Amino acid sequence: MSALTFTLKYRPDQRVDMSPLVCHHLQDLALPDIAALTLQSGKCKLRVDELFTITGSDAQTIVIKNSFAKLDFIGKELQGGSITVEGDTGAYLGFGMKSGEIKVSGNAGLYAACEMKNGYLEVAGNVGDFLGAALPGNKMGMKGGVILVKGDAGERVGDHMRRGSILIEGNAGDYCGSRMTAGTIAVMGKTGRYPGYAMRRGTLLLWNQPQLSASFNDCGAHTLAFLPILFASFNKLNSRFAAETAVFNRVQRYAGDMSEMGRGEVLVKL
Amino acid sequence: MLIKLTGGTVYDPASGIDGQQQDIYIQDGRIVKKPAEEVKVDKEYNLKGKVVMSGAIDMHTHIGGGKCNIARTLLPEDHRQDPVMRSDITRSGCGHAMPSTFVTGYRYAEMGYTAGFEPAVLPINARQAHMEMADIPILDKGGYVMLGSDDYLLRLLTAKKDQKAINDYVAWTMQFAKAIGVKVVNPGAISAFKFNQRKLDLDEQNSHYGVTPRDILRVLATAVKEIGVPHPLHVHGCNLGVPGNMQTTLDTIQGIGGLPMHLTHIQFHSYGTEGDFKFSSGAAQIAEAVNKNKNITIDVGQVMFGQTVTASGDSMLQHANHKHASPNKWMTMDIECDAGCGVVPFKYKDQNFVNALQWAIGLETFLLVNDPWRIFLTTDHPNGAPFTSYPHLIRLLMDRSFRNEVLSTIHPEAQKMTTLASITREYTLQEIAIMTRAGAARLIGLKDRGGLSAGNWADITVYTDNNDRQLMFEKPDYVFKDGQLVVVNGKVVSTKWGTTHTVKPDFDASVEKGLKDYFNRFLTMKLANFKISDDEMTEDGRGSITVQPLKGDVA
Repeated sequence: MSALTFTLKYRPDQRVDMSPLVCHHLQDLALPDIAALTLQSGKCKLRVDELFTITGSDAQTIVIKNSFAKLDFIGKELQGGSITVEGDTGAYLGFGMKSGEIKVSGNAGLYAACEMKNGYLEVAGNVGDFLGAALPGNKMGMKGGVILVKGDAGERVGDHMRRGSILIEGNAGDYCGSRMTAGTIAVMGKTGRYPGYAMRRGTLLLWNQPQLSASFNDCGAHTLAFLPILFASFNKLNSRFAAETAVFNRVQRYAGDMSEMGRGEVLVKL
Repeated sequence: MLIKLTGGTVYDPASGIDGQQQDIYIQDGRIVKKPAEEVKVDKEYNLKGKVVMSGAIDMHTHIGGGKCNIARTLLPEDHRQDPVMRSDITRSGCGHAMPSTFVTGYRYAEMGYTAGFEPAVLPINARQAHMEMADIPILDKGGYVMLGSDDYLLRLLTAKKDQKAINDYVAWTMQFAKAIGVKVVNPGAISAFKFNQRKLDLDEQNSHYGVTPRDILRVLATAVKEIGVPHPLHVHGCNLGVPGNMQTTLDTIQGIGGLPMHLTHIQFHSYGTEGDFKFSSGAAQIAEAVNKNKNITIDVGQVMFGQTVTASGDSMLQHANHKHASPNKWMTMDIECDAGCGVVPFKYKDQNFVNALQWAIGLETFLLVNDPWRIFLTTDHPNGAPFTSYPHLIRLLMDRSFRNEVLSTIHPEAQKMTTLASITREYTLQEIAIMTRAGAARLIGLKDRGGLSAGNWADITVYTDNNDRQLMFEKPDYVFKDGQLVVVNGKVVSTKWGTTHTVKPDFDASVEKGLKDYFNRFLTMKLANFKISDDEMTEDGRGSITVQPLKGDVA
């Protein structure tokens, strides 16, 4: 069986809610039924076959071609299966996904992996603000799974994050790891201002010295045996995080945010 | 246009009609006498076998004012879970615990309610509260202005000014904040909180002003009576939610010395300290005191299980309660020189001993107070539960076996601590009509509302009699507001704008002298800007003001 492929025919002016096109919704549907589903686009409802050319049949393997930055909610609450996106995606990529895999060849918009529960999400380009964060007003962001971003991430990476790992090969914006309760965020590039703002627990693992606020305490240099184990867990990824040269165990440790519980840590490669 | 409602079974306690079959005629928004034979009926509704009551009135519901918007801002997830689409005649919005203004109006009307009164209008924010309520369709509304922790009143008391000065200040504030009643919230304590007191008993002094809650209650209740406001002083007493506060409430009833007083959400003020958990029901003692003291009226503030949000002016108690916030986010704030505000989301759970007993205490209160003219059906929306839970509450009151069924599912220790199972009383339709209609209209002082005799405004609700009272009260067949058919089968079919009920008590113009200095020195607005003019309420073409008569006025 070949992958169920949606090839975008044209770029609509309004944003499109792609949430019906996930593996678990489509797996028992015949192609004509899938073609007849409707997608909300601005005020209008569009049939799937108005927007996309549909080929293939394996609903567990979905490919979206010619994607662009106005296709929102791709892979919403995904439960198993894989979605591969060729091009960019809009906001809320992998919103609340429970399991399965999403790979994007381009950039992703705001709130990628918002309140993600589990699974694997990979973005080859950049992501917008609030990667792996909670919706406004909610108290829990990403709860599990792994996110790999090969480009840069926007502000507020992992806002209210609770569990899971976020790996960023590029740079992260301001307030990286803000209000996180637990979990791990690793950034190979630079971080913006106020990393770990109001974090309670959790780990920021940084390759470059950040500009930390006064509410983080320097705890000195440490050799941490868990770091090689953490890196070992990445070695199946198609990523610079999997490279043997990436592994280190010597870090400067900062504890904070002392204006919160202060049980979080920022580890900076030495 | 002459409308005839034919053959309905009418429950109209205001004119002593208890379930008689009667025709009702509506013309120009009012109920009229049977016209002469030759007059043509334009529209007739056959209501044979249907139950007809006047439109229900919620005399204590938080539907306007800053705290509503704070609660909305604090709980976006509550709104995300209950989006409301627009239709050709209704606007979009969102619902659940603190619905948007438009949805508030629609949902009330869809339950047969035609009026709601906001009990905590802060004078300094009264304009915003009225503007917000102006956005609530269909319902009539009004506000009780909140006094008792405002610095001006406390200064008057400290300076030992006479009752006349206080009467003038109260009347002036009511008139220019466009109020229909006066409410006092945890008297003096919201001010005391700012001076670092964390509790204030009935006879404890505010450490800065040296006045006690007892003094404040007495002067305000006297003022309300002397300036002729029909609605008695609306009191949210001391020590809300504190185990043992039953004694405070009994002392408050005693201390008012026979003056008319309304004790609001009394369920939260009826707690004892017995039992293993040092938390018990004081409903029996409170009900006995209410039964004995005819000057006292109460509304219950029933707790219902589920997610809601508490919004109160009582910043002292809201601050104390913040550790129970669920989800864990909350705020309290100061309102310049006037009072405070606290918003704490809350989830009442039937398997939580305290919550379960609160639920039982509320029901005990309903069932043990004999006179339905002096007790009112509220959940203190949204503090005990959203107003949409009223039909369920009515079923609990009217159906003993259903009540006992629910009772048997709550926390077992709470079941042991309540006498609810042994109470056999079931409310009748007439008693429900008194509590939610005739009694409420009389308590607030609404002329020509809450009744179905000729001359009344045609606010009418028609239900299909059903032994499942929840289903019955959830979905009225018809609701008329001022003679206009607004709801059919529990769905809004047309909308209109209600009026704002106010009173205009007299005051001596010299009161403004002291107030002007006070405004200039301490407040962020000038005295002239404080005053809400009639034009402000009506100039958008949809608001209107109805001035209700004072006591002693010739009606």
